Amino acid sequence: MAAHTLTKKGVNCLMLDAGPLVDFNRVRQTKQAYELPYHGFGEPGRLPHVVQANEFNANQWVDEKEVPFTHDPNKPFNWVRVRMIGGKSLFWARMSFRLSDYEFKAKDHDGYGENWPIDHAELAPFYSRVEPIFRVQGRKEGLKQLPDGEFIEDTSPWSETMNRFIAVSKRREVAVTKMRRSLGRGQFASSFNLLLPEAMETGKLTIVPNAVVRDITVDKNTGLVNGANFVDRHSKREMHAKARVVILGASCLESTRILLNSKIANSSGVLGRYLYDQTYITQGVVAVDKTPGIGGGGTSGGYAPRFVNLKKGNEQDFIRGYAFDFNLAGTPDAKYVPGYGEELEKKLAEYRGKAASVTIMGEVLPRYENFAAIDKNVVDAYGIPVLHFDCKYGDNETKMLKHAMNTFEELCHESGFETLAKHDKPWPPGYSIHELGTCRMGDDPKKSVLNKWNQSHDIKNLFVVDGSSFVTGGYQNPTMTILSLSMRASEYLMEQVKARNI
Amino acid sequence: MKRRRFFQTLAAIPVAAPLAAQQPATAPAPGGGRGGGRGALVPDDTKLEVSVAEGSADAMPRFFNAAEFGALRKVSDILAPAMAGSPGALAAEAPEFLDFLIGRSDAARQGLYRAGLDGLNGQARRQFNRPFAELDSAQAEILMAPLRTPWTYEEPDGDREFARGRRGAAYRGQRLVLVSARLETQTGNLKWPVRITTFLLLAPARPVGWPRIR
Repeated sequence: MAAHTLTKKGVNCLMLDAGPLVDFNRVRQTKQAYELPYHGFGEPGRLPHVVQANEFNANQWVDEKEVPFTHDPNKPFNWVRVRMIGGKSLFWARMSFRLSDYEFKAKDHDGYGENWPIDHAELAPFYSRVEPIFRVQGRKEGLKQLPDGEFIEDTSPWSETMNRFIAVSKRREVAVTKMRRSLGRGQFASSFNLLLPEAMETGKLTIVPNAVVRDITVDKNTGLVNGANFVDRHSKREMHAKARVVILGASCLESTRILLNSKIANSSGVLGRYLYDQTYITQGVVAVDKTPGIGGGGTSGGYAPRFVNLKKGNEQDFIRGYAFDFNLAGTPDAKYVPGYGEELEKKLAEYRGKAASVTIMGEVLPRYENFAAIDKNVVDAYGIPVLHFDCKYGDNETKMLKHAMNTFEELCHESGFETLAKHDKPWPPGYSIHELGTCRMGDDPKKSVLNKWNQSHDIKNLFVVDGSSFVTGGYQNPTMTILSLSMRASEYLMEQVKARNI
Repeated sequence: MKRRRFFQTLAAIPVAAPLAAQQPATAPAPGGGRGGGRGALVPDDTKLEVSVAEGSADAMPRFFNAAEFGALRKVSDILAPAMAGSPGALAAEAPEFLDFLIGRSDAARQGLYRAGLDGLNGQARRQFNRPFAELDSAQAEILMAPLRTPWTYEEPDGDREFARGRRGAAYRGQRLVLVSARLETQTGNLKWPVRITTFLLLAPARPVGWPRIR
């Protein structure tokens, strides 16, 4: 987004990308499971931290042997990475939400942590410009906790089952919305097809693939950054690129790693600290509809944004909140259905299209104790020191997830469903692939790495425009917020250059 | 013709038949150009159809010992039998594939299967005086009883008490192998053409980091 914004304003940009430019027409092909060496099960131990990986998509993730990371065995962290032009935006689930002032001003609501130095009103104009580019589909609901955007209106009707569920939810003040999702164009809703081609058309953008950045270089006389050292991925040749301004958008943790390895921008001491993501439970509740004669068309998947701790009288034994991403017309996985053989098959046929399942997406509190730091003893295939994670969910998350599981089960029961299975055990931190907070922004340079323009407090020609700048992350998928902040930071940078402040 | 090839052919019919019906009688050869010339007349000679090894050759199980493998075959057949219109786990050579997959997996996963299969054999010997593979259906049914209880992430009290006992580990392993074998035989018999997509998740393929499935 930064390259898109800046090149359109006439700035020459050089984009270093650690991965290749992939020809998806060539690499995406239909294969039978039996054509794969491990029949779709994947090579055992190949990507131990990438739960999302399977044998079909194994090549899209960063190889953990090539770029390892470390953690205490009792504190697992799943760092899921993509290195190719377009990055994770090539493969994201496209869920497109805004943060609300419950997140931007979270401290005002419950006293915990820090407020963002900005609010929704300040970022809204940028959300409104990003959403049309990504073609976000959704339905305006007027919810304070999930601000509406510039949507392509979703006019599809709800299914009969969903209407029943919504009526039950309404009584308990749980709002159910249509999913908000980037439609993008063609196969992708990615910088790869929506931003970079337009940036290339300006003639101002140069993209160098396979450029693995080692660190950012600093001019000793001015204290300003003046470029980056990088390693060619294939030849391992060391190179240096000069720049007047450096913008990091390498993903939260890669940007943090580059800054830590460069030993800059950390006068606050919080670089790498306050690492959080969103805590996820998949298949938190699996239930089947016992109401006879269901069917008919309509949307049977929905989204219930945060509904707890929104007002007085609704306080729980935890702070913040969570969302349900759920579907009411699936088929339960065989492992949730008792029996085996023919009996199991019959049961599965009976349950087909009648199962509710939910992914619970919970806010994680930013905590100083959760951090990423450089592991001095381990380097990657390019000789670059790797990250060590020390990150763990706490009581607030545990209580929240239990509440979420029980609430969804109750909603299901009241809607005529019967539980097959439930659990409140989250995936390890990192699973949501929404790492945030390690270069957080703030007005106080002692407590934050960046100012409210995503600009380093310490070095004025250094910007960080990914999720690392978040102060709190809410329960919402962060992509729209990252894009909007990046657009806003890039326009601010232009103003500062014009005013000769940079 | 190897069995697998036969099933591949079978699986292809429902899709291929309607497609073929829609084809005009003088369909251009694959890869042929529209504008005439050689391309329109001769088939694309750069593409050869190749086969998977299992279509023409037999796997050589080498990880499980004979008793374990016998039990695995029996369990696989009970969990995913041949049913009207679809082959079962044995025809799909799921046990042979599992022998390969588990043999390449980490010690935890290997131990899980070994403990489970050994547990089944041990229990069969104690109760019926013969290995699990030689039980009749009624006898096997008795040992498979744990699978008839609803499966949840919560550990039932009975299990917890049992797990405290001396045979706890073997029992847990046995129950695990029943469930995982059930999962893996079902997905091991993959015949679906699957487009490479992020949304595709083959959950049972991932023992690492899977939440407490026991």
